[in-house]
Amino acid sequence: MKTDRLEALSLEELYALADKTGLDLPAGLERSFVVEEILEALEEDSEDRRAAQGEAVHIDEKKYSGMRIGDFDEDPGLGEPMATRYNETMIRAIVRDPSWAFAYWDVADTELEAIRGDEASAGLFLRVAELSPAVEQLDSHREYFDIPIADNDLQWYINLPRSGVRFRIDLCARKGGQGGKFRVLARSSEVESPRQSLASQGQALDPATYELLALSGVEDLPIEVVSEGNPLRILPSGISRPNDRAD
Amino acid sequence: MNSGYLAIVLNAHMPFVRRPEYPRFLEERWFFEALSETYLPLLRVFRSLEADSIPFYLTLSVSPTLAAMLGDKVLGERYVDYLDAQLSLASAEEERIGNDPAFGPLARMYRSLYSADKDDFQELYGRDILSAFDYYYQKGRVELMTSGATHAFLPIFRDCREAVAAQVETAIIAHRKAFGKRPSGFWLPQLGWYPGVGEVLRSYNVQYTVVTTKGAMLGKPTPRRGSFAPVECLSGLIAFIRDAAATKAVWSETSGYPSDPVYRDFYRDIGFDLSSDYLNAHLEDSGDRIFTGFKYWAVTGRTQEKRPYDPTAASARAAQHAEHFFADRCASAAAAAPFMDRPPLMVCPFDAELFGHWWFEGPAFLEALFRHAAASGELVLTTLDDYLRDYPESHSSEPEFSSWGDGGFAEVWLDGSNDWIYRHVGKAVDRMSELAERFPDESGLRERILNQAAREVLLAMCSDWTLLMRAGKSAGFARRQVQEPIANFGRIYDMLCSNTVSTEWLTRLEKRDNLFPSINYRMFRRKR
Repeated sequence: MKTDRLEALSLEELYALADKTGLDLPAGLERSFVVEEILEALEEDSEDRRAAQGEAVHIDEKKYSGMRIGDFDEDPGLGEPMATRYNETMIRAIVRDPSWAFAYWDVADTELEAIRGDEASAGLFLRVAELSPAVEQLDSHREYFDIPIADNDLQWYINLPRSGVRFRIDLCARKGGQGGKFRVLARSSEVESPRQSLASQGQALDPATYELLALSGVEDLPIEVVSEGNPLRILPSGISRPNDRAD
Repeated sequence: MNSGYLAIVLNAHMPFVRRPEYPRFLEERWFFEALSETYLPLLRVFRSLEADSIPFYLTLSVSPTLAAMLGDKVLGERYVDYLDAQLSLASAEEERIGNDPAFGPLARMYRSLYSADKDDFQELYGRDILSAFDYYYQKGRVELMTSGATHAFLPIFRDCREAVAAQVETAIIAHRKAFGKRPSGFWLPQLGWYPGVGEVLRSYNVQYTVVTTKGAMLGKPTPRRGSFAPVECLSGLIAFIRDAAATKAVWSETSGYPSDPVYRDFYRDIGFDLSSDYLNAHLEDSGDRIFTGFKYWAVTGRTQEKRPYDPTAASARAAQHAEHFFADRCASAAAAAPFMDRPPLMVCPFDAELFGHWWFEGPAFLEALFRHAAASGELVLTTLDDYLRDYPESHSSEPEFSSWGDGGFAEVWLDGSNDWIYRHVGKAVDRMSELAERFPDESGLRERILNQAAREVLLAMCSDWTLLMRAGKSAGFARRQVQEPIANFGRIYDMLCSNTVSTEWLTRLEKRDNLFPSINYRMFRRKR
């Protein structure tokens, strides 16, 4: 994750992200410190995940052992260099993981010129709108959030506030001085961020299923614990069986 | 009632690296190495087991790009050239170190292996490896699956059903052409599943696939039998679930069997140890240092000081590890059985190229495993097809978006190093759909050019290139492997829009990117 992406988040959003990353930060910290902590934690997490889960891909890479040490000749004889854009107004969103989506967009030159020419225009922004309630209602969240973008931005990774939700990203142009009015230039398909917790979380499972989940290695998987005090949750240290219930 | 089922599933895949316009092309070595170190050794294992009447069953996914290369005459000729170069190097090595008590036998071992490869490829199989696999397919020993046409990571394209359908449809047609039979199973490239992909697969009458443990456990509802039985998805597709413990035992780079000190070290290769002048007399004179396949050292440990490789000790260790692996699976089945209403199933999916290429003793491990299983009788070895015949009913659950890459989602195929491709690939897919709508009933030259456009779009979707970009290995080559088909597609699109076709250029491109001869560009028509 890039620092500038974190800088675009509000302090509240940074704390929410820190919490999701597993950091327990006291309130009232300097914003820059929170950003540093998150970057560090994400880097460690990334290394851990690489070490713990990426074997398949690492071995995949070894298929290509007869590879060039130097880089390939970058002159493929393709004629014109590849375009960076197609001069069209569009946006597409791709879910990367429970926390991040990748969006790329474009605004046709004529449309962008019109927006720039409109003195009342206050610029472009992305509106990330949730379309379904989260599987687990942790706390109150906005149903959408906006991300200001520059005219020459073409893509960003967007931090998703919650996993397990459907959402859509609108590419919008704000009309300045008109009571916050805006125009939707393009709309992504609906996409869904994956769950990080068991679908059965909070529901009674029969004892045999608990045993089979444990034997399947669920406790070694990076599956999220959702709420404290839930007697049937999957614990990081193991599985809470029905007869272990606190109640 | 038996105590459990064990299903070994291998994914054999290579991206399309055929480049006949170059006299020699370095990346074609990936394919040659896989032939020499994995596919031919696997066939030798099958022959050995068959000769001794040892029953063995496994499921093997042969990806469409690999099948295309295995059936290609140009690559067949070049593979023989490769073997001749390897044999020449083996002779030089025998001369160089033949009298050394530790390394002399190893030089002779390589000479013997490459000689066996040449005999098998030329004489035994008549350069037709697909038929060799088909022989075991026909006998019911090996169940063959197919995979995405160009190994596209499908979750990235979930908002574009035409692109996913094109990967599936092309793969099934290619499989039927190669093996004369429609595949029941579909290996999801990188085990990349997303809710809804089952509908596409079922619409082509695919019966089953394999998903990661994490994806399955996050499924809805939570699978009642854990990973010890498949689940039936909303579409009716059956999703087999990877056994996490079995996978780790073999797969882990740090604690898996292949990291045992006795085994052959993958990294120490004379390609990096000896002088370029010596090597270039036998290998491509490209100036690049490359892996030659001649490796004389054992893993030994996390040190640069390596012990000489001892094949006898390594072979014995492979047999021990096979027994250990089998005993662990028996123990796992015994632990699960009291909570099951049917014998537990353990599905062990691996990249085929792990066995032999990276883990040199991998084929010996597999042979020992099959022999031990036959002697023990404790677990029933099965193919995924056979298991479904025994247990057609499964609990319902829709797995969650998942893959076997770092992080378990799309992190490998979508990050700062490779995300730029999706704007171009997405545009090409859109335009291909547009062309298929505009020209639904073409024939002759226009159909040829539309089919070539479809091939180029599929080639640009390949997940191997994004993987390499992220790994930073051969990244320039990987970038070009996406840029070229995108540029080719763009040229075709412009030709069709301006109604001018360069037949000479088209013919050249068809000869180079010659995979999927039965491709039908209409599969990109928008699904209604």
